[in-house]
Amino acid sequence: MAEKKKRWAMVIDLRRCVGCNACTVSCKIENNVPEGVFRSWVKEIEKGDYPEVTRFRLPRLCNHCDNAPCLAACPVQATYRTEDGAILIDYDHCIGCKYCMTACPYDARFLNPIRKTAEKCTFCYHRIQEGLLPACVTTCVGGARVFGDINDPESLVAKLVANNPVQVLKPEMNTEPYVFYIGADQNIMGARYDKLEKGEK
Amino acid sequence: MVSNVTYIANIVHPVQLGVLIAIYFFYTGLSAGSFVLSSLGTVFGIQKYKPIAKAGVVMAVSLLAIAPLHLIADLEQPQRFYTLFFRLNLHSAISYGTFLLTLYPLNSLIYGWFLFRKDLAKGAKELTGFRQSLYKLLTFGKTDLSEAALAKDTKIAKFLGTLGVPLALMVHGYTGFILADIQSRALWHTGLMPLIFLMSAMVSGTGLLILVLMFSQRFLSPERSLTPERKALILDISQLMMWFIVVDATLMVIDFIMLYFTSAAGHFAAQLFLYGSHRTMFLGVEVVLGLLIPFVLMLLPRTKRSLGWISIASFLTLLGVIAMRINFVIGGQQIPLSGDTLNPYTVDPKHLIFITLFAISELTILYLAFRILPVYGLLKAKSAPDLYQKEALSK
Repeated sequence: MAEKKKRWAMVIDLRRCVGCNACTVSCKIENNVPEGVFRSWVKEIEKGDYPEVTRFRLPRLCNHCDNAPCLAACPVQATYRTEDGAILIDYDHCIGCKYCMTACPYDARFLNPIRKTAEKCTFCYHRIQEGLLPACVTTCVGGARVFGDINDPESLVAKLVANNPVQVLKPEMNTEPYVFYIGADQNIMGARYDKLEKGEK
Repeated sequence: MVSNVTYIANIVHPVQLGVLIAIYFFYTGLSAGSFVLSSLGTVFGIQKYKPIAKAGVVMAVSLLAIAPLHLIADLEQPQRFYTLFFRLNLHSAISYGTFLLTLYPLNSLIYGWFLFRKDLAKGAKELTGFRQSLYKLLTFGKTDLSEAALAKDTKIAKFLGTLGVPLALMVHGYTGFILADIQSRALWHTGLMPLIFLMSAMVSGTGLLILVLMFSQRFLSPERSLTPERKALILDISQLMMWFIVVDATLMVIDFIMLYFTSAAGHFAAQLFLYGSHRTMFLGVEVVLGLLIPFVLMLLPRTKRSLGWISIASFLTLLGVIAMRINFVIGGQQIPLSGDTLNPYTVDPKHLIFITLFAISELTILYLAFRILPVYGLLKAKSAPDLYQKEALSK
């Protein structure tokens, strides 16, 4: 069998996530992300009524989709895909039309208020090129974030995806995300409109 | 679905495409609408609409000269806008739009020139002073006024107009498509969106054309009056507007019924517009003020014959269509993708300044074009007996 091309992926094992936001902070420091915007963040919800209550966390980042809507939307080819599957932005060619930000179903993109271009998580591409792990992965205290080449059957990500029930965000969008979650609660994975509908009425 | 879920922590995702984009959609809509009306006489051969062909094309060109400025002003890196022409992405609607937005005004401009050439050439011969030299310049040396030359003009204008109608429809269909293309936004992601945008373009294009015709024929045409024929034509166009409103409203009803039953996000979008905080802007301004009242005004026998009521109805359609653009562009992005609250939108004051400046320049261009160009033909030269009589009287 011919060796498959490298495909970076991340598995986030939510059973190990404690919601400490170390990933959020390390990402900000590593990538010099300005105030008020985030490449990676942690959503948190509470489900149930006292005493039967549980907290669920959902670390978020760019899904580096195989069928990425942002890649299709960019009118100047500033968004591109690397050979190993990561979606990156060429900041020297981004015109800041913000079309990609409306196209992303995951709210992963934002406007960098200083550089004045689109921006998002790069899987810390500058680090993984050097053989390091993304900053959020190295800093994760519970070891919830696992990163690697999903096409390599020996890698931990490939094993975790093969041996666990995994979920991706909004599979109905047909984006084929490469960030997999283990143990994600359905109520935190998308948007919720019930409170809004009640309040709006 | 469990209902006792509380959001503890999440981040804010503000609305990115704002009021500049909404107003840009409004301008292209006006342009496409007025071009189609201009073509009714020249392309579709309906004789009674011939007199508005030139007015329509002046509007189409001047509106589309200003419209793309809104897009450039909305870019975060406006100095890089020209890269849109060569760094193409064949999967991106905007890449196609770049060329549509360039070809359509150019085609309209050449089409307009062939409509105007006869009057320009005549003016270059008959008039004096500033207009004479300007018209002479604008004929580019083509001053042949023979029957054959004029027939050729009509033929070329018809050809360019035939090319222009699909271009106009594509330019505005594409603005709807730019939204429809986005699978993540429930309010936008429907095949009806280009059609809705097209029909509201026809409504607003007719509305503005009526207002411009009234003002320019009364104050800027050689006759300086709304002659009975002109009034009859305006009444006729206002009836067209009523039917455009009917089609637009029908599409809107279908869209909302579909939306209500499509998905959680779609259902919420419909809720938001029909019952929620966007109700005033949608039902109040867009539907009642922008569609229902103009429709009723153009239906009732008493009001449909009055120029005053027609101008009010036309103005209301413009207001309604501006509201529609804002509702769909900004409202569509306010529906959360990953949170439990509406995405916030704050208007950038800089954008409002741009919009005001562009609107002032648009009105100035329209005024100057109607004032200087022979949109309604040339002033009839005074006949010899008139001059003789005047001379005799003055003695």
